[in-house]
Amino acid sequence: MRPHLAMLTGLAAVAATSACIPVQIQAPDKPIEINLNVTIHQEVVVRLEQDAQQFLQQHQDLY
Amino acid sequence: MKRAHAKTEAMNLAPIALFAALMIAATLLIIAPAHAQSSDPVIAQARAAGQIGEQTDGYVGVVAGQSVSAEVRAHVDQLNIRRRAAYTSAAAEHNVSVSDFAAAVACQSFERIAVGERYRTEAGQWLQRTTSAPVQMPSFCGNH
Repeated sequence: MRPHLAMLTGLAAVAATSACIPVQIQAPDKPIEINLNVTIHQEVVVRLEQDAQQFLQQHQDLY
Repeated sequence: MKRAHAKTEAMNLAPIALFAALMIAATLLIIAPAHAQSSDPVIAQARAAGQIGEQTDGYVGVVAGQSVSAEVRAHVDQLNIRRRAAYTSAAAEHNVSVSDFAAAVACQSFERIAVGERYRTEAGQWLQRTTSAPVQMPSFCGNH
């Protein structure tokens, strides 16, 4: 009974350790490709006018 | 007794809150751009020189036929990556597609194109803004 329990504890420890390996996220180093052949929905764009204006004011450094 | 203790705690927190507020205000002052133009001089210069320009998709592009330095190209790529990230979060916030939000912003940025700057029409043609002709707006912008 005892070794069985020890084995289970060992397994649990291994599982816990493997779950703790940090996942590394890397920023993309390649330039993004921009596809010009996308369908733009005019009614959505028109509805977003105010939001787009606000966006531009908040992100002036990008324009 | 309990009340007095709570009061002391609040008084201890007050300077910290004040300090935090001051720090935030200072950060905002530093971040806030002085001018409604790109804060990147490489971009600003290439734009003024007509080497790069706004596109109807909400991104910046290198004007066809222009030979630009690797540095300018890298700055354009970086700028577009940052724009893409900003569009993506804004689009999610408004429950629209990234391309639709980007297009809506393009409608606004096209209004700001200065004389001498180049821009890419919906048909993919690069034009230069002149004093005589208005900017050819994308068809999806709606009229105002």
